[in-house]
Amino acid sequence: MVFALGDYLAGILVGAVTAVVVHWAVAPGTDMVIAMLVGAAIGLIIHALLGLLLSLAFGLMETMIPASLIGMYGGMLFGMRDSMAAGSRTLAAAAIVGAIFGAVVVLGVKLYDRALRGTVYETSM
Amino acid sequence: MDTATQKKWDDASRTFDVFAAADDRRLSAYKQRLLKQIRGNTLLVAAGTGNDFKFLPPDVRLTAIDISPKMIERAARKAVAYPGRIDLAVKDVCELDYPDSTFDTVVTVFTFCSVPRPVIGLRELHRVLKPDGQLLMLEHVRSAIGPIGVMMDLITPLSRRFGPELNRDTVGNVQKAGFRLRRVENVYLDVVKIIEAVK
Repeated sequence: MVFALGDYLAGILVGAVTAVVVHWAVAPGTDMVIAMLVGAAIGLIIHALLGLLLSLAFGLMETMIPASLIGMYGGMLFGMRDSMAAGSRTLAAAAIVGAIFGAVVVLGVKLYDRALRGTVYETSM
Repeated sequence: MDTATQKKWDDASRTFDVFAAADDRRLSAYKQRLLKQIRGNTLLVAAGTGNDFKFLPPDVRLTAIDISPKMIERAARKAVAYPGRIDLAVKDVCELDYPDSTFDTVVTVFTFCSVPRPVIGLRELHRVLKPDGQLLMLEHVRSAIGPIGVMMDLITPLSRRFGPELNRDTVGNVQKAGFRLRRVENVYLDVVKIIEAVK
């Protein structure tokens, strides 16, 4: 239970921080491709730093894998959005959307994990 | 002896327990279930600081090796608490000096993400196992899920500087080394796996 809550907390934190930093770094009107690449790079760095720190409490793989998806792919999305000024006009709004994105990714990873978990190959030897 | 790998893990030994603590708690049930299958003369490869000794069934005849003398120093302190005998030694899994067919069981826990020449290391384990001896592994491997696999490929050049590689095909490497797969279980996504094989 503690680990499950921790996974969501880690995802929310990585999502929110990535969204805020990308919002700060990408000005409206920035070329969308450049904004996407900048967002991905920011997300990659933030997920590595925050993910590593949070993994001390919640486990390496369970923290880093969702964090990598949130950081890199979320960073791309946030960058594209901010280049178009399409919503999340304030840092607080960006943080909330980032947090929601993080929680949704963690939920998706958990559902996928549930589907994949278990014996995938067995033979009698 | 691979001195570069030895130095990397000597350096990592200082913080190893801090980074492993959460995984130890999270994966303890899987480790206990895997290690319960140990039988006979057993080799534990890459014992690290001995964190997995507490998951061993009692009274196992165990030899625990690691490439890092600093790791073995720390493991020696934990081995004292084990109700059985653990022989500790500094050895490179790619250059084992045990005779052929020495062990009944070989165990690895998050080891072959860090061995620079994994197939050579696994071939050594194949050599030192007795016929029909078993290999029990808990390992993390590259995900076959597109976006996750790509991330693992991207991060590996950085992660290998301080610790493990994240994009290994350990199930394939086990087969390349001559083992027959007995059972493969996904523990977390398709990344953390229990792999059981026989010689």
